[in-house]
Amino acid sequence: MGNEVENHEEHRAEGVGQHGRSGSEPGNVTTRIRARYGDAAVRGGNAVGCESVIAERDTHLPFMTFLKDDPELSFDYLVDVTAVDRLQLDEEIRFAVVYQLYSYKHNRRFSVSVPVPEADPWIGSVVSVWPGANWLEREVYDMYGIVFEGHPDLRRILMPDDFGSHPLRKDYPLHGKGERDNFVF
Amino acid sequence: MGLEDQLQENVMTTKVDAMVGWARKNSLWPMPFGTACCAIELMATLASRFDLARFGAEAIRFSPRQSDLLVVSGRVSIKMMPVLKKIYDQMPEPKWVISMGACASSGGVFNTYTLVQGVDQYIPVDVYIPGCPPRPENVIQALIKIQEKVAQAKAN
Ligand code: SF4
Repeated sequence: MGNEVENHEEHRAEGVGQHGRSGSEPGNVTTRIRARYGDAAVRGGNAVGCESVIAERDTHLPFMTFLKDDPELSFDYLVDVTAVDRLQLDEEIRFAVVYQLYSYKHNRRFSVSVPVPEADPWIGSVVSVWPGANWLEREVYDMYGIVFEGHPDLRRILMPDDFGSHPLRKDYPLHGKGERDNFVF
Repeated sequence: MGLEDQLQENVMTTKVDAMVGWARKNSLWPMPFGTACCAIELMATLASRFDLARFGAEAIRFSPRQSDLLVVSGRVSIKMMPVLKKIYDQMPEPKWVISMGACASSGGVFNTYTLVQGVDQYIPVDVYIPGCPPRPENVIQALIKIQEKVAQAKAN
C-alpha cells in the first residue's frame, strides 16, 4: 500500500519532468540520515505515506541544520512548525514539536517530530536555520507553552499578552477559565 | 392663520426634532466593523443588487469620526474587543449600533475561550440581526428599524 503511493509520486515526478531522479527514490531521506548518524537516529518511519523521523531534543539543532544544508537533502523550506499534546494518548512524553519540511530542489517532503517533556518544556529554536520559523514558533509557544530557546522575540502571537494559559493544551477547558468574561481594557 | 395663506405650499411648518430626525435617518453613514463572514453579506447589501443607497446609507466610512452607525458584523475576540470599544468611543454623538449576526449578538456557535459572548456586554446595541449570516433583506430591515429610532431621537 505504502509502496503504491510512493510509486505513484515517483511517476508523477517523472511526468512533470522534475530534475534529480535520484531525489525521488523512496526511502532516500532516511537512508541518507542513516549514513550520517547511524541506525539509532532513524526512528519513526512513515506517517501517512510521508517519510518522517523522531529526533532528540538535545541534538535536534545540528540535525535540522544537516537536513537543510546537506546537498542530497536540502530541505530549504520549513512549511510548518506545530505541536501535539498527547495527554490522552499512551505516550511517555507529553508534547511533540513537529516540523514539516519541503525541498524545492528534490520536490520532496519530510517531517521531524521531537518529543518535549511537560516538566521542562523547552526546545532549541530553528530561527537561525529557517528565519520563517519565527512566527510559527511564537504560535506554538502561545498555544502550548513550549519555550523556544534562542528565539529572537518569543512573545505571544495570537492571544493577548496578559492571557495566562496555553489554550491548545488538552487540559485547558474549551470555554476557558473565565478570561472571556473578565478581561480588562 | 393669514401667514399660511400667503406662503401657500412653499413652506411647511414642523418641529426641529422632526426635521433633524428626518434628515439624519435618510443619510446614515455606517462604520463597518467587519471581522468575519457576516461582513461579506454586509458588502452584498451595499452592492447594486440590494443597494443600500435606496435608504441613504451607502456612504460607508472607515473612519469612526465620520460615521454615526456602527455595524458590528462578525466575531469579536477578547483581543479585538478593546479595538471595538475604542472605535465606538471615537464616533461622535449621536450614534447607533447594529449587532449583525449570531456571533456579534451572542457568540454564535463559537462558545469558546476567546470569544466575547455578545458585544452588548461592552457597548450598547440598538438593533440585533439574527442569522448566520443574515440575508441582505434582514440587514435592510434592521436599517429601517434604526431609521425609525433615529427619527424619534431628540435633535440636540
Ligand atoms: S453569524 Fe455566522 S456568518 Fe456571521 S460572523 Fe458568525 S459565523 Fe460568520
